[in-house]
Amino acid sequence: MEIKGNDLEKLRLDHKKIENRNIFKFRILTVMTIIIFFGLWQFVADQGIVDSRTLPSPAKIYETFLAKLTKKAPDGNLLSANILASLQVSLFGFFSAVIIGVPLGLLMGWYKILDKTLTPIFEIIRPIPPIAWIPIVVVWMGVGLSAKVLIIFFSAFVPCVINSYTGIQLTNKTFINVSQTFGASNFTTFIKVGIPSSLPMVMTGIKIALGNSWSTLVAAEMLAASAGLGFMIQMGRQFARADVVVLGMVLIGVLGAILSFLFSSLEKYLLRWK
Amino acid sequence: MEQFKKKNLIYQILPLVSVSALILSWIAFSLATGGIIFPGPASVVRRILKTFETPIAGMTIIGHTLISLKRVLTGLFISCVSGISIGILVGSNRYLKATLGSFLEIFRPIPPIAWIPIMIMWFGIGELPKILLIVLGSFFPVMLNTASGISLVNKINLDVGQIFGGSKISILKEIVLPTALPSIFSGIRTSVSCGWTVVLAAEMMGAQQGLGLLVMKGWGINDMALVLGAVIIIAFIGAMFSYLLKRAERLLMPWNR
Amino acid sequence: MEQIKTKKVKVRNLSKIFFQKSSSFEVVKDVSFDVYDGEFLVLLGPGRCGKTVLLNMLIGTETRTSGEIHINGAESGKPSPAMSMVFQKKALLPFKTVMENVELGLKFQKIEKEPRRKICQKYIDLVGLHGFENSYPHELSGGMQQRAGIARAYAVSPDILIMDEPFGALDAQTRYQMEEELLQIWEKERKTIIFVTNNIEEAVYLADRIILLSSCPAHVKAVFPIELPKPRDLFDPEFLRIREQIETQTDLSL
Repeated sequence: MEIKGNDLEKLRLDHKKIENRNIFKFRILTVMTIIIFFGLWQFVADQGIVDSRTLPSPAKIYETFLAKLTKKAPDGNLLSANILASLQVSLFGFFSAVIIGVPLGLLMGWYKILDKTLTPIFEIIRPIPPIAWIPIVVVWMGVGLSAKVLIIFFSAFVPCVINSYTGIQLTNKTFINVSQTFGASNFTTFIKVGIPSSLPMVMTGIKIALGNSWSTLVAAEMLAASAGLGFMIQMGRQFARADVVVLGMVLIGVLGAILSFLFSSLEKYLLRWK
Repeated sequence: MEQFKKKNLIYQILPLVSVSALILSWIAFSLATGGIIFPGPASVVRRILKTFETPIAGMTIIGHTLISLKRVLTGLFISCVSGISIGILVGSNRYLKATLGSFLEIFRPIPPIAWIPIMIMWFGIGELPKILLIVLGSFFPVMLNTASGISLVNKINLDVGQIFGGSKISILKEIVLPTALPSIFSGIRTSVSCGWTVVLAAEMMGAQQGLGLLVMKGWGINDMALVLGAVIIIAFIGAMFSYLLKRAERLLMPWNR
Repeated sequence: MEQIKTKKVKVRNLSKIFFQKSSSFEVVKDVSFDVYDGEFLVLLGPGRCGKTVLLNMLIGTETRTSGEIHINGAESGKPSPAMSMVFQKKALLPFKTVMENVELGLKFQKIEKEPRRKICQKYIDLVGLHGFENSYPHELSGGMQQRAGIARAYAVSPDILIMDEPFGALDAQTRYQMEEELLQIWEKERKTIIFVTNNIEEAVYLADRIILLSSCPAHVKAVFPIELPKPRDLFDPEFLRIREQIETQTDLSL
């Protein structure tokens, strides 16, 4: 019994219907969960179950957001100034870490001499949480831009180096052999075989570095700054303005997510051959 | 052969050379800057030992270290247990992923350190907010890695489970979890280092004891030897955690290599 | 005396179509055959088309688009303890030792440790892996891994054993050895075996009957009963004649 044309069509349509229904079902659940969460939050805050000074409602936070766009209180900066300061410092530290860390990691992973010399030093620096650098760097360099950038640099530097190092060490030996059989020098093999094959791990390392930069930035701003979202949160606490604090948290989360998303898109584009 | 031996010797000496160079430059740097901004290794050791005669906030260096350790281990225990359980749930059930998973996703982009001020406002600077913060900081890596590890299972291994008559739970226990173990471990490694960072940050921003407090205190009174000493101990413990985890991994997963 | 042979497995008009985004792909087309109790049946067909899907439908890990499967007289669609399977490669759980892999089915059946280990030890010895009970798959050669797979399939005492190109990934030498050993194991413990391969020589060496499948989409081209006594001589003229006969009817595959 063969499956005839009409029956085939019907089977295919049934199959498609079930698939679409499944995707739809889960998307709805996700959206509903998020709506319920915000709704409950608003409800709890409105009903005064918790004091509104402790837990501001989503609506209140939105209000504060609008207010901060034009007012400097209570931390002394406009919201835009804070956001700009945070982005500036973190991205500057992040990019320098990538530019220095990735090539360094790649070279360390490829050339044994560099490996044996630099890896021990790296292993000593690695376990120091970036936040612990803050007092040392600040005492040494003051509370300026360069101190913060350096701290963020440390936090982003480590994953860049580690991942590049591991990535290039995992280069397929067969490819290296092929390259050498064709007479390529060690350096050429490094450039043409090692580096491209380590790209996925390098990208992962950079992604981690981005996350680290952003969260270390917050810490650095909380402890030693006069502008920025972390600073804004700290000021919010000092003036007992929970709404400012939560606004800062939300903005930090949102900006972090946006940066992460932008990078993931870049990653997908660069690795589209995968 | 001679060349080979010579090369090997160089490779063995190099690490020692560079580490010694590092320590020497530390000493040189501290001497050059007058020993106050950047004390040399000797002064750091002396300062640490001094806490045995004159305790800070009622504790010697060991006391503060133990407090920080206690906090981080409590928090890590909670986040690993909950992270793995919730990771299993979210990784194996699409409904839970769409509901519980989405709910948790709302909080994930917020760096744990950003939670510190609100936690202090709500709970003060006692033990509870610190443990909560550590959990906040270390929960996500282990949960996400567990969830993704669960989804890594090969269809053929699941088929094997089905064919040989395993119930859903048996298949989870005998096949899915062991496959996910490497991912789970990777998540735990990240969680541990996150947790250690968070406890430090939390102690730096509001505590009465702990290594983070020592850092802040030293900073406040310009006692850089204390600061450096605390930082070095912090780094050392961090390295210890890494080492112990590596050993545990080798023990629990003998089939990996 | 005519022996009335019971039909262990009945397959009728089995078909499988895979639906992609905008196209459909028919891999199994209207396949029908019987499997008799205690026989060594070989499904022979060119590579890369439908054979594994066919087996998966038999054992119940793949759904049917149409057609019927009867096992032991009853309609069947899900895995059952009456059937077990040996795979081509990578089917041993890498994080379990040989013993733990072999006892998997019995463990799922909630059999106690002592008795189940005894049973498994018997089969580990039967396939020649005595001494390797505590080794991990990555420590074993390809042939040894396949033997462990066979032990695992035998340990649950199935009526029907399905084998999906189990020796396909082995080198020629090991392959010949395994074919011989499989027949020896089968002589010691008779099961109904459904064995899939793309190798004509292997098929003629092992089978009581060969069902020749076409290339994509797979359907039954011909059925060849093989009456030669076992173990067979690869260079026996009758063996070679049958081989040639089958060869002329096989579809070439890409």
